[in-house]
Amino acid sequence: MEVIDLNWLQLCISFLILGIPGFILWKYKTGLNRKLLTATLRMVIQLLFVGFYLEYLFEYDNPLINISWILVMVVVADFATLDRSDLKRTKSLLIPIFLATIFGIVLIDLFFLELVINLPKFLAAQYAIPITGMVLGNCLRSNVIGIHSFYYSLKEKRERYRFYLALGASRNEAVFPFFKEALKRSANPTLATMATIGLVSLPGMMTGQILSGSSPLIAIKYQIMIMLAIFSGTVLSVYLGIRISNYFVLDSTDNLDESIFKQEKES
Amino acid sequence: MHRPHESQKKTYVLINFDHLSFSYPKTNKLVLEDFSMEIKKGDHLVLKGASGAGKTTLLRLILGFDKPTEGNIYYQGRELTNSVIHTIRRECAWLPQDLNLGEGPVKEVFGFPFSFKVNSGIKPETDEIFKIFDRLNLLPEIWESNFRDLSTGQRQRVGIALCYLLNKPILLMDEPTSALDVDSRQKAAELLLAKNKTIISTSHDSWWIDRCNKIVEI
Repeated sequence: MEVIDLNWLQLCISFLILGIPGFILWKYKTGLNRKLLTATLRMVIQLLFVGFYLEYLFEYDNPLINISWILVMVVVADFATLDRSDLKRTKSLLIPIFLATIFGIVLIDLFFLELVINLPKFLAAQYAIPITGMVLGNCLRSNVIGIHSFYYSLKEKRERYRFYLALGASRNEAVFPFFKEALKRSANPTLATMATIGLVSLPGMMTGQILSGSSPLIAIKYQIMIMLAIFSGTVLSVYLGIRISNYFVLDSTDNLDESIFKQEKES
Repeated sequence: MHRPHESQKKTYVLINFDHLSFSYPKTNKLVLEDFSMEIKKGDHLVLKGASGAGKTTLLRLILGFDKPTEGNIYYQGRELTNSVIHTIRRECAWLPQDLNLGEGPVKEVFGFPFSFKVNSGIKPETDEIFKIFDRLNLLPEIWESNFRDLSTGQRQRVGIALCYLLNKPILLMDEPTSALDVDSRQKAAELLLAKNKTIISTSHDSWWIDRCNKIVEI
């Protein structure tokens, strides 16, 4: 079946639907209308930019350009992770989260793109960019939950953490309960999505493939693969992000550097 | 007359506070000023004084959770460097005033410190733990209860049992009897003071203070 292209007028018409949520949010004085406007504008500008950029990327399909684009995405995700985690953009966090994300992405890309799909061309843009983008987007979400949960609970429950240290725990032993909780919290949303996928929702990638004319079976096979990539990538990047940042944020006597926090939350 | 060598004198003194001052970085409020004191092996020491006088701060300084603004702390004659702080943490048990071991059954949160490498050889059997619980008027039923649901007094007694069973040579305790009734207080003191340990505590409780052999007012 041929793909029905949306013309610009049709796309503009689709914005009219925002009137309904906009009215509800305004009626209940949520103060979110301004945010809705900014978010919509940002979405349009960012996606238009990416759309044009991807056209260029696909046309040249050069591994070096693709890698550079992936690096840009990782750097943006790095800053966004800290901003959304209510943590300051300190070197002690930016570098570890960058390293963790890049390691996770490289491993996942090499495994799925080169080993499983076995792309005829190294890091072919048509596959590498969307798959990396999807894994990275989910890594960002999980890192925000994981890193925030870990460091804020270490701060709020510092007496418990110090109690373990004072009983002779090594750094890894003392952070274990906080690490466990952060991993659980960050992995749970993806696990819930995996458990309900297909029943409650049809995922975006699969829908996109079906809309663009692929057979549903091909779309499902890709979707299963991408879910495995997302889950593995997110757990790995959260694990490495916490693990590596521990070396910089905890000092040589394992005390927490509290200058990383934006908020003054106390238990 | 035989005079002990300098290093022998230093080891006899377990902890030495040498003209110590401390103020919190955020407030700059001076909590301790030019404080000096020696703690010898086997001392049962209690620090007393008004709230905010710096009693708990002193314990935190020993454990390396805060750093002195001025002056030094010596442990067995060695300045409190990072490696000495780790040594102290291996050789002591710490009981904070409001012990919070988080969510989970008592059997899990109680067992966790025994899983640390440094404590791996001393994990007690459940029977032995229950005997200590009994001596502290704790019923075995709390073993399955969530730690979060225990009263402050029960938490304090669980902490005392833990410190006792960890069998460390030094006990650091912040207000160890603050939430205990007369009977439990008596039993806790029998348990903690009977062994040949160095005890460094803070307290407002005159009963506990009377049972310590060294009282320092700050």
